[in-house]
Amino acid sequence: MKVSSLRLPERIGWRDHGIGAALAALYVLVLIATARTIGFPRDEGVYFRAASSYVGWWRLLLEQPDEALRQSAIDAAWGFNHEHPPLMKTLFGISWWTLHEKWHVFTDASTAYRLPAMCTAGAALWITYVFGARARSRIAGLVAAILLGLMPRVFFHAHLACFDVPIMTMWLLCLYAHWRAQEEGGILWALATGLTFGLALSTKHNAWFLPAVVVPHALFVHRRAIVAGLKVGRVSLPSSLVSMALIGPAVFYASWPYIWNDTIGRVQWWFEFHLNHEYYNMEYLGRNYFGPPSPKSYLPVMVLATVPAVTLSLFLVGASERAAAGGRRLYSWATTKLPRILPARRADPEEAPLDRGETDLLIALAVVVAVGPFFLSKTPIFGGTKHWLPAYPFLALLAGGGFDLVRAAMNRALPGLAGAKRSAAEAALFASVVAAPLAVTAHSNPFGLSSYVPLVGGTAGGADLGLNRQFWGYTSQNAAEEYLNDNAPRSATVYIHDTTWDAWAHMQDEGRVRRDLRAVGSPHEAQLALVEHELHMNELDYSIWVTFGTDAPTYIVEHDGVPIVSIYRR
Amino acid sequence: MAVASHNHGEARPWQKWAFAIVPAAGLFELGAHVVQTHSVAPERDWHAAREYVAAHAAPEDLVAFAPRWVDPIGREVFGPRLATLEREARPDETRFPRAFEVGIRAGALPFLAGWRRLGVERFGAVSVTLLENPAPAQVLDDLVSKVSPDHLRVSRVDGGREEDCSFSHAAPQSGQLGFGTAVPADRFICAGGGFVGASVVEDTEYYPRRCIYAPPAGRTLRLRFADIRIGHVLHGHHALYVEAEHSMKAPVTITFTINGAPIGSAVHRDLEGWKPFELDTSAFAGTRAEVVADIDCPTSERRMYCFEVDTR
Repeated sequence: MKVSSLRLPERIGWRDHGIGAALAALYVLVLIATARTIGFPRDEGVYFRAASSYVGWWRLLLEQPDEALRQSAIDAAWGFNHEHPPLMKTLFGISWWTLHEKWHVFTDASTAYRLPAMCTAGAALWITYVFGARARSRIAGLVAAILLGLMPRVFFHAHLACFDVPIMTMWLLCLYAHWRAQEEGGILWALATGLTFGLALSTKHNAWFLPAVVVPHALFVHRRAIVAGLKVGRVSLPSSLVSMALIGPAVFYASWPYIWNDTIGRVQWWFEFHLNHEYYNMEYLGRNYFGPPSPKSYLPVMVLATVPAVTLSLFLVGASERAAAGGRRLYSWATTKLPRILPARRADPEEAPLDRGETDLLIALAVVVAVGPFFLSKTPIFGGTKHWLPAYPFLALLAGGGFDLVRAAMNRALPGLAGAKRSAAEAALFASVVAAPLAVTAHSNPFGLSSYVPLVGGTAGGADLGLNRQFWGYTSQNAAEEYLNDNAPRSATVYIHDTTWDAWAHMQDEGRVRRDLRAVGSPHEAQLALVEHELHMNELDYSIWVTFGTDAPTYIVEHDGVPIVSIYRR
Repeated sequence: MAVASHNHGEARPWQKWAFAIVPAAGLFELGAHVVQTHSVAPERDWHAAREYVAAHAAPEDLVAFAPRWVDPIGREVFGPRLATLEREARPDETRFPRAFEVGIRAGALPFLAGWRRLGVERFGAVSVTLLENPAPAQVLDDLVSKVSPDHLRVSRVDGGREEDCSFSHAAPQSGQLGFGTAVPADRFICAGGGFVGASVVEDTEYYPRRCIYAPPAGRTLRLRFADIRIGHVLHGHHALYVEAEHSMKAPVTITFTINGAPIGSAVHRDLEGWKPFELDTSAFAGTRAEVVADIDCPTSERRMYCFEVDTR
């Protein structure tokens, strides 16, 4: 695949946004097409409810503004699930109200709820492409976007009406706007930085860490102007920082009616909730963690176990090259400060010109800050990989740069290739790095949380290593599809284990689970009982043995031979 | 910012072709994915292994599945007659003279590592390894199997007064995560609180342990096992339900007497998990006697206590 043959102008422009939009649209279409294969995780049931509540308030605001603005009305609508800010839940609600309730675009209410998060996933690919195209090359951007979309965990979470993929996108978008503000100057991108920071704050609390990326980066970019200003007694701040400080909180405040009353107390509660979040169970290397200290190896091992190895190898190539370039630059700077000690480097005619946006520093900070908290022993690990998704677009950007390097090296090694042969060789190279992520990601669906990459032996390898099998109780849908819907007695009672009542009711509403089946909250009440396998959930298995009088499941939902859900029948 | 390509003179062959590592890695990963997703043990292999084990395993043998995560499939295919509760929720492996280790993916159970391998039968992707216990214990009576009114009398001791707990068959009780050990249908129920029944506790390693569920309710809980064959030791284990192990409350003490003579006691403190104990009964070896277990704890809060004991 040779991008130059597409005859795009050298300058990145609207055509590139067309490519980004096409990638986004294709990804969203795939997500919509596979939406029904994934059941409803615990959190989604809550967010569906919150979304309906929030959009109800917005409708009330349009119809009876005086009534809507009373604190009682605000708290009634927005008090539910106020541990998370409102942006995505509001969008889920608007999508549900317009595309399901009003215009009947989607038969399934859940698909309408999920659509905004899916769109943010598509947007992440779009921005990644454009970012990569501007920072490296079009092919680097394209590879980066595709490899981001073909991370199995990203693909899984991209389906859900949750906040993990949306905050990944907002993190990326805010940093892209900030980067453009440094590259271009002017006020528009600076304003966009503030706006997107506010939207990120309104999406998920990962946004609290964005200043840790932007502030040091902006200060470094503008270091000379800042120092020069200080010398003449003038404080000069980068415009994107000012924008983030002023516009970001304003957008956040405006988007969340819940904090319009008792603002300080409620925002403080929100901070304290997340700073003192309880620990949930999570298996790692055969041990169940549900309190500090969290294992420091968790993040690197889980990245190795869930991100395709070829993506990581391209990341290593790209990151190493950029680190080497940074090292050379640092050395050159040091030679100017210590000319007697350090010999000057010979100038490299092919060395890249100075980067006004300090892209490498921004990407490095974006990754380090996104993953940094997960090396602290107090940080809970219960979210698996989803809590550090904001690092992944930047990992993919470095992988895209790595692909550029590999492609260039191949062309140097095969100088005789030209024209169609070179294009074929490049296409083969592209296929070789995309095929495995595509196959692994496609195969992971719908068991995205159970799947592990071939490097650790796939799903069974993950089970061998004692890595978490799943969480959130969403696989009861698979139990219904594979067994309950065809085999359960009429009106049978089913112990639904980790699945929430809301999630089960939604699955019944949408015909995913037979409507006559009655959910119950304990095994002894049930004719059929589900166990969604997780190490700490073994307790429920044993309860069923005692209450059903048998330790033999009737049926097991498996993925690659690994038990996902055991179904017992009395 | 363009990606710089560095071409400092003639590259050595390995440098020239080093780029090939990346596409090779991609193709290797694809191949590994295909192999891994097509190497799932088929059902027929499991069934063939079951037929073999059913034909060769004696009632006193252990049947176990490896790796640990495949245990649900083993129970599903082998059924409750081979994957019995006594085998699945065993207190330990010491009582089994032989083990049929049914494994996939070269899985091996760590607690059988010291056993002598007698042979391996392969049924496609499933293997059955026969192992011999180097020092099997001869169990005379397993007290968990004696939890019935024919063999056991339960009472609650308050001061000097001993009040019998009646045996009943009621609905079992269970709940969501955190409920703890299920309360069995057949149980002794004590007036004023407390019960005793055979159940399965989840220990701190999340293994199932068949045991006598006897949460102390702030008073001494007394269990009198009648007509027990006595050997040289009382061999047992005790634990709290895994979440209760983290409550950090008062320890639970179990004290044994045989025909009224004190034998000894064992104390379980939080976080000790499935804790073994062994008490010398040589003085009564070869007799049949009443074994009494008194369970004490100053508090009843989260004392979801379960124990097992046998004579050997």
